[in-house]
Amino acid sequence: MGLAFTIRRACFGACVGVLAGGGLVPPAHAEDVTITVWSHEADEPAKVVFRNKAAHDLEQAHPGLHVKLTWYEKDGLYTALRTALAAGRGPDVFYLEPDQLHQYVSAHYIMPLDDLVNWNAIYPWAREVWQENGKTWGIPQEVNLNVMFYNKDWMKKLGVSVPADGQFSQSAFLDLVKKARAAGMAPISQGVGDRPYPGAYILGEALLHKLGKDDYAKLWTGKLSFQDPRVVAALTWVKQLVDAGAYPKDFSTMKLGESFYYFYSKPGAALFPMGSFYSGRAFAPPDKGGQPADFPLGIMLFPAMDGAACNRCETSGIGSSFVINAATKHPKEAAEFLDAMSTPQMTDMWIDTVYEPAAMKTTTQGFSGPHADYLNALMASQKGVEYFTGMPLDIMQNGQCKDAFGQVLNSAFPAGLLTVDRAVTMMNAACFGH
Amino acid sequence: MPPALDTSHPARPRPGGRQPTSDGWRPSLATLAVLLAPAIVMYLGFTAWPVVRTFYNSVHLVGPGGDTEFVGLRNFSDVLTADPNFWTAVRNTAIFTVVGTTIDVFGGLLLALCLFTRVPFVRSLRVIWFLPVLMSYVVVGVIWVWIYDYDWGVVNLVLRAIGLGSLETAWLSNPSTALWAVMGTHLWKWLGFNMIVFLAALHALPSEVLGAAELDNCGWLAKLVYIIIPMLRPTLVNLTVLSFVGKMMIFDLVWIMTQGGPLWATETVSTYVYKRAFDWNTFDLGYPSAIAVLWFLIIIAFVVAMSLLLRQRDRLEF
Repeated sequence: MGLAFTIRRACFGACVGVLAGGGLVPPAHAEDVTITVWSHEADEPAKVVFRNKAAHDLEQAHPGLHVKLTWYEKDGLYTALRTALAAGRGPDVFYLEPDQLHQYVSAHYIMPLDDLVNWNAIYPWAREVWQENGKTWGIPQEVNLNVMFYNKDWMKKLGVSVPADGQFSQSAFLDLVKKARAAGMAPISQGVGDRPYPGAYILGEALLHKLGKDDYAKLWTGKLSFQDPRVVAALTWVKQLVDAGAYPKDFSTMKLGESFYYFYSKPGAALFPMGSFYSGRAFAPPDKGGQPADFPLGIMLFPAMDGAACNRCETSGIGSSFVINAATKHPKEAAEFLDAMSTPQMTDMWIDTVYEPAAMKTTTQGFSGPHADYLNALMASQKGVEYFTGMPLDIMQNGQCKDAFGQVLNSAFPAGLLTVDRAVTMMNAACFGH
Repeated sequence: MPPALDTSHPARPRPGGRQPTSDGWRPSLATLAVLLAPAIVMYLGFTAWPVVRTFYNSVHLVGPGGDTEFVGLRNFSDVLTADPNFWTAVRNTAIFTVVGTTIDVFGGLLLALCLFTRVPFVRSLRVIWFLPVLMSYVVVGVIWVWIYDYDWGVVNLVLRAIGLGSLETAWLSNPSTALWAVMGTHLWKWLGFNMIVFLAALHALPSEVLGAAELDNCGWLAKLVYIIIPMLRPTLVNLTVLSFVGKMMIFDLVWIMTQGGPLWATETVSTYVYKRAFDWNTFDLGYPSAIAVLWFLIIIAFVVAMSLLLRQRDRLEF
């Protein structure tokens, strides 16, 4: 019986092999394999659909391979990862952002992907963000640009025209804030209640313009003092905005999601500095928190600073990315899932449904879908822009410095709780020379 | 006539190891072991082991994957001598605990006395005052963030409505009010719990003693100070210790409402431990464990001291 069974099994295997070789059935795994994936962005429906489709397509293409996706919000995900990975467990694939790269590589929690995934599908400059020690550790998906959104109708009401090059001078921008406040409008929507970075969007871009890319990087890595006159000048200008009532009074407790609604619905604001991931929430249906269908969304660059080193510099960063657990027993299958999210078809789907720039290469020219105008406007606004890759929190590696950034530059300073001198002292104490 | 109990034969072991008890049977050791095992395993796995491991971690540098390097008391000395954030957290927690416990206990007693003296709408008030206890911290936190909102929160709306608009502020965004605002929310949630416990204790007081006091023409205040409060002393001490311990470990409400901000104004020891463990770009659990151990020892010391100081030396007889 044993021999007969072996022969029958061999015949069956041979038949399947022939069929598979002839392309009649998808390649099957020798045994059922389930790869587990932990992902952030549970509250962004388009990304949920995108990743579920990639998982579904992979399962269809490889019978016997299963993908189990678990959805988190970022804080919960990172906490779960730290405890699970320290215990030698954790998912095969997980979401990570570049600010975590160094510590995860140092901890040997993630594996290099250079020989595992199809890098022809990814833009080289996006891949570079995930490189350390000569190896690539994560596959990028989402490209974030820091963008200054505005309400076109409100600008008209204020009698203000956006300059042709899309960039106000620092004094014109300050006047705009004052005009909006005088007209009873909220000048800027921003909330830092659950994030350690949005409050520093304007300051960050002002510093980048003022310092240029090299010195800007030095500032966040403890190699340039916050007492540098250019830094003080940028802080002083932001302080003028704050004193003019630029930010909402409840900005310290307003959550990121709430700041979207504040901008385009109630009470409304003239300006909204935000990452280009704006589309993930704003283009959801209005009854699910998205912007009204006819919302007059405009895009401009962050203000030009006086005596700046690079006023056309803008911050870009890699957001959503995925890595493979170094302890996974299924690296090949895990890499197949990463590749499944990076195909040209999936990239087109990303652009047409998520409406964000992608780190994956696309085959199509131009944009389609109901928000194509938005993407065209976004791309048009970026003409002549020089990118600095990496958000401040991506660059800082010192925990104390990160904490101070979140408390001081992200929250207390734009909330008007600190003088420029005090902010400089606190940031230097936490960051400079460390 | 009920059947007489035969007490002439002492209980004897029964076959199968089952021992007779007052109601007939005593389970064998094996049965006991089987029944207790799940609870013991859970306790050892989820309470005892984490505590032991935290003590172990506190004297180690804990690397990724659980690799450890013994560092002796270095983590403790760093916490105590070179960490200003820790001392900010200690100061905030101390204020929260001392003020919060005092208001919590005496406020609960006051509410219980109101109900005990049968103020109007006593049934409704009992439900209303106790209701927040049944709500989750997440719900309470979110509701109070709205209540404290600068633009449309109830607190500022009321202030504006009664002509005190000059007092309006962003309650949770202002470092000088944030801690008090969080404390107000905490008290709102927990006063009802203390009230119910005190109310039960008040109803358990011997009516003869209170009646005798009234016959002696004892006024309400004198009765409260010289009779009721002394007789409630065990309840008072227990609630004080419980409230104290709870506030020393406050985490969830602060995390939901302010995450320790603005400018560390509401940072408590627990939120700081969490940040050091999960937000500081390091996988080292040794340092946060040292803070946790230190705080654990401080709490134990205070609880022992309070129990000794507040214990009743003379037994009341009534």
